[in-house]
Amino acid sequence: MKLMFDLPEVDRAAYEAAVGKDEKLLYCLPFDIYEDQFVDGYVAFTDKKMYKLLDGKLLATFNIEGASDFKTEVMYGNCGFYAKIEGSTTLICQFISGRNLPRYAVIVKACEILAETGSKEPVTNDTPERFCPKCGRPYIAHTTICPFCIDKLEVYKKLWGMTRGLRLMMMVPFLVNLVGVVLNFILPYIQRIAVDNYLYPQNPRVFDAADKRVFFLIVVAIVSFDLFSRAMGVLSGRCSAIAGNKFVLILKTLLYEKLSSLSLSSLQRRSTGDLMGRVNNDTNVMKDFVVGQLPNLFNQLTSFLIALIVMLVIDWRFCVFVFVPVPIVVLILVKFWAFVQERNVRAWVLGTRTAHLLQDILNGIRVVKCFGQEEYEINRYKESSVRSSRQNESNAKIFDTIFPLMGFIIRLGNYLILFYGYNAVFGGEMGLGTIHQVSTYANMIYGPLMWITFIPRNISQFLTSASKVFEILEETPEVADINLPIDIRIEGDISIRNVTFGYQSYNPVLENINVEIKAGEMIGIVGHSGCGKSTLINLLMRLYDVNEGEILIDDVNIKDISQNALRTQMGIVLQETFLFSGTIRENIRYSKPHATDEEVIAAARIANAHDFIMNLPEGYNTLVGEKGYSLSGGERQRIAIARAVIHNPRILILDEATAALDTETEKLIQDSINKLVHGRTTFAIAHRLSTLRNADKLLVLDKGKVAEFGTHNELLEQKGIYYKLVMAQRKMAHEVVKMDESSTPAAKTAG
Amino acid sequence: MAANDKDNKTTKKDDAPAKEAPKKNAILEEDEDMDAGDLILANERVSIPLNMQNAKFTRSQGNLVSLTLKKDDGEEEFFERVVVLRAFPITNPSEFLSVREPDSKKMGRGKEIGMIRYMSDFDEATQKLLLEELDRRYFSPQILKIHSVKEKFGYSYWDSETTAGHVTFILNNPFSNIRLFEDGRIFINDIDGNSFEIADPKKLDAASYRKIELYL
Repeated sequence: MKLMFDLPEVDRAAYEAAVGKDEKLLYCLPFDIYEDQFVDGYVAFTDKKMYKLLDGKLLATFNIEGASDFKTEVMYGNCGFYAKIEGSTTLICQFISGRNLPRYAVIVKACEILAETGSKEPVTNDTPERFCPKCGRPYIAHTTICPFCIDKLEVYKKLWGMTRGLRLMMMVPFLVNLVGVVLNFILPYIQRIAVDNYLYPQNPRVFDAADKRVFFLIVVAIVSFDLFSRAMGVLSGRCSAIAGNKFVLILKTLLYEKLSSLSLSSLQRRSTGDLMGRVNNDTNVMKDFVVGQLPNLFNQLTSFLIALIVMLVIDWRFCVFVFVPVPIVVLILVKFWAFVQERNVRAWVLGTRTAHLLQDILNGIRVVKCFGQEEYEINRYKESSVRSSRQNESNAKIFDTIFPLMGFIIRLGNYLILFYGYNAVFGGEMGLGTIHQVSTYANMIYGPLMWITFIPRNISQFLTSASKVFEILEETPEVADINLPIDIRIEGDISIRNVTFGYQSYNPVLENINVEIKAGEMIGIVGHSGCGKSTLINLLMRLYDVNEGEILIDDVNIKDISQNALRTQMGIVLQETFLFSGTIRENIRYSKPHATDEEVIAAARIANAHDFIMNLPEGYNTLVGEKGYSLSGGERQRIAIARAVIHNPRILILDEATAALDTETEKLIQDSINKLVHGRTTFAIAHRLSTLRNADKLLVLDKGKVAEFGTHNELLEQKGIYYKLVMAQRKMAHEVVKMDESSTPAAKTAG
Repeated sequence: MAANDKDNKTTKKDDAPAKEAPKKNAILEEDEDMDAGDLILANERVSIPLNMQNAKFTRSQGNLVSLTLKKDDGEEEFFERVVVLRAFPITNPSEFLSVREPDSKKMGRGKEIGMIRYMSDFDEATQKLLLEELDRRYFSPQILKIHSVKEKFGYSYWDSETTAGHVTFILNNPFSNIRLFEDGRIFINDIDGNSFEIADPKKLDAASYRKIELYL
């Protein structure tokens, strides 16, 4: 996110006149509203003061030092940035929420840091902008693409690059189209000869056998031309289908490969729906454009050009008649479509409103009846549907009148030709065949005009889709392997040294973490929610890279280990288990696709899952997942554990693996966990401390820092946070037991 | 006078552990943590009707609104800054004004101090002061003229003249973001969180009206 805007000349002068020598400009943000007017003002933040600037004037100066309670308030139609300056709350500036609220939210935090520590290092924030920095218009939703500012040539160039290997195939439709266009133009010429010389000759005469032969040849030519052009059509259709499908396949594969190589953080920024849309819809829009619309466009343009030349050769006046009305017709068509569109949208909106209203009423039918509001609702619905039906009726009436009229207008050029042409025929200057030829050409030009008016919209749709696809393709993964990553066999020694990390730089979740862990140890991670437990796990798995410090596995920095080597030697069980649609066998084999059935069963045994799986009618071939057999939480969890251990990971991570289960199931799972932690470095996060009773050491995190680290007994002796947690949980367990005891006799007496 | 406010809280906080004292020592500190929650509950204030007699609004040093509240027991409470909100900003802007403590990070959402039934219950100077704060908070410029409406790339761009100057605002779906009220007023919400108002669409010039008519 941009936190340093460039000051305009005049404001810069005003700022420089006011600022002290040793002050450093840290941030500069725009504000949008001042005294009930929209303005383009700026607030410049130095390490000491805030300068409010507007049109070259310094409106106010505020001290940051000693100020407190920085905050933003969302108001009606605008937002305010407030701070307590010298004891009194002051409105520093007003701004538009959508444009600047996220920016000021960061600034609030930055000012707090500044007021407390006076640090001259500006905070940064990598949340993407929602608005184009060039033109200020909003980006396409979920992207950083401004449809107004994209370099269109660049998109076409990239597209050209994508078609490597398919170009020959893609050229076929173009060539075939070209041939087809030429044929289309020759056919009327032959027909003209037939008409002028034989059917309606200008100088009537008796035909001899030679004439008849020529006439016969002409007929054959006409038929074979037609056949030929149809054959070409088939060829072109096939080629474009093949090329198009290949093109989509290449695009989708590339996109998918790219998506899976992106880091978790850049994937989480986008919604699943948006990503799916890009893989499925946008690639198809691109295909349609490349193999459908582009050849068609080429077709029309060549038709236009050839028609222009041919008509010029025949008679330039025809040219005038045919081409002069074209711009007018196009203009009328564009207006006409806009008009139709407008009315259709209106009818659609009224229709959906009515449908929505009905849905609302039916959903709340109990409420409606309880409050006796049936009549009110009936009237509301009637009113809405009457409006909708009126709109539909008027649309139908108008369209039925206008469509034939449009047909007439489109043929306007044709009528002019006929008028002029027949005059020429009557005057004897021209044969009937020539008119036939020219009017066929005119039809060829006017016919597709309807279609041509859609081209701008199609092109803009294509550009949008293409840039969305390219945006993903060109993204560089944040967590990337180094040039020559090392594939190591992990033993399991882990040292975390001076690690600091935050999802936003100004807001560290973990601070200065130092832990040494020996291979095979089980480490329990304990702490309040939000203290950074899961974040630490994310760092160990290298889903994110640390901001400062380093994490070493067997004395190798995890940044130097290839991600593949790292992940294949780690196993993770999460609180929410996700099973893919498929059989249990497939789900267990997920982390080791070539595992033998023996290994699958062994893993299931370790996870205490074998018995319940055997009780399912289809055993290991039972379908699970969205459409499959519904397993209980504990059963799913045990399959997840089997999945985590089948590849015999050196490092095992259990992230609240048993939190969502009842005590009985937990015992079962606890039992399986005890089996599998043996000989592996294990990290276990748990709220229930009893889960961690086998842990070699416990790591207590508090507010992003290591509060305590040691064995269970050591920590109990320290009487710190861990001690308190243990005591609190014991007390709770005690109370639960007491409650059970007291409720049972009561139940008995009641019974 | 925030200091006064703080004092209140510290005294309460001192009280709390005293009450807890009989409990087990081992978990004492744990419980103290929970006190933060108890404190907010204890701080629950009862909203009272505000009038000239019990409420004195003054301009604060930061050019905002301060309030001196006279309680029933004659004690005075001073608020360095209060926020004034409308209960019905669109249908009844000058009645039912909620006077609240501002939200803060430490204390969470601000509590309602009291409610003004009619703005006219107060003298002119106070009304002016309140209105000033309300106008700042409720920013909804009137549209005077619509120059053009363009649909492009899924957004609709409105170039128009308002009481707050010339502005181009962007709607993502004009049909759901232009609201027509029963009294004929039109409210427009754009993608940036701006709000615009047309008090009487019929009074717009014909060209402007035609542009918005489609969406009504």
